[in-house]
Amino acid sequence: MGSQQRDFAEFYRESCDNCLRAVLVSVGDQDTARDSVDEAFARAFASWRTVSRHPAPAAWVVRTALNANISRWRRRRREVPMPDPGLMADPAAADAAAGRSVDPRIMAALLRLPARQRQVVALRLFLDLDTAHTAEVLGIAPSTVKAHLARALAALRDIIPTPRQEMPS
Amino acid sequence: MNDDDLITLVRESFTGLRTTTPVDQILRRGHAVRTRRRIPVLTGALAVVAGAALAVTTLLPGGHPPSPRPSPLPTAQLAAWTVTRQADGTIRVNIRELQNSVGLQRQLRADGVPASVTLTGQENPACRPYPASAALQKRVLSITSEIIPLTHQGPPPSTSPPEPNLVLVFHINPAALPRGAGVQLATSFTPVRPGLATSAIRHGLVYASPQCTGS
Repeated sequence: MGSQQRDFAEFYRESCDNCLRAVLVSVGDQDTARDSVDEAFARAFASWRTVSRHPAPAAWVVRTALNANISRWRRRRREVPMPDPGLMADPAAADAAAGRSVDPRIMAALLRLPARQRQVVALRLFLDLDTAHTAEVLGIAPSTVKAHLARALAALRDIIPTPRQEMPS
Repeated sequence: MNDDDLITLVRESFTGLRTTTPVDQILRRGHAVRTRRRIPVLTGALAVVAGAALAVTTLLPGGHPPSPRPSPLPTAQLAAWTVTRQADGTIRVNIRELQNSVGLQRQLRADGVPASVTLTGQENPACRPYPASAALQKRVLSITSEIIPLTHQGPPPSTSPPEPNLVLVFHINPAALPRGAGVQLATSFTPVRPGLATSAIRHGLVYASPQCTGS
């Protein structure tokens, strides 16, 4: 394995999980998120000389994954969705797959946020980007990032039950 | 709950979510992206020619050469099936009617996808299911149906009923196919209509073997 591949492999191992989490918050579907992230990392490797010099390569991957998802949606919007026979054959497996790994209450709360607020949450919480970098990636003003994050946290606080609220009376 | 607690709660709720794709698979896919980018721009002219040829082929039944004699009624007919490689490396199989399943199987193999293609109920008994999660199966192979606009050349056929223009579309991602695995496609339908029962379709991953997929 060459040094370029080693560098990329290290970057992939360090950031792939957080990139997946950030993209999932934005797109809301795990399979779509996994496909988009895989594609984005493949493109990152294809352009690794450039991407490795990016101030936040993980943010580049997330942005690319979201763009890939939009492209896929545009390409396939003519298509008529059909039930997936493979999943229909095993509904229990499908349910397990749909709800795996993420607390469904938190996911549902995040999906109730407007898209831009979800993107800000994704970049700030999962990629640990600061306000300036988040603003740069999303192409918005830093003050707008702060406003979106504050509103998102306020909304999540209202939606997500606290441990005290969950305790039986 | 203050902001820090809330952020911690959200982060922790995602800690179980992990990427399952091995880095080697990403590297292979990345190499494929590089290769596509290296194709000289001049081959665009070839692509135009190939596209024109494909358009002509699309109007002919799959697996059969065009008739040397011109048809007295120049109406367009969709191919029984077509296999096309997309720019992102995935393979798209349009099936309107499963004629010449052996030809389709051979074409998929030529495109790097070990496959067993049969009519439903006639699946190859030599094929053994490849253990794969629903998510992996979905990444490798998904099905949609798509309405293909049907254009007629010359006068429109006035006496025959309109051609069905809904096709079954299999999207296959060879990069996501595990080593040693192939795909199994089984359909049993003639021109697909919107009321097609999903029980007429079977698909999944199988162990690739000379007896099952021929490779």
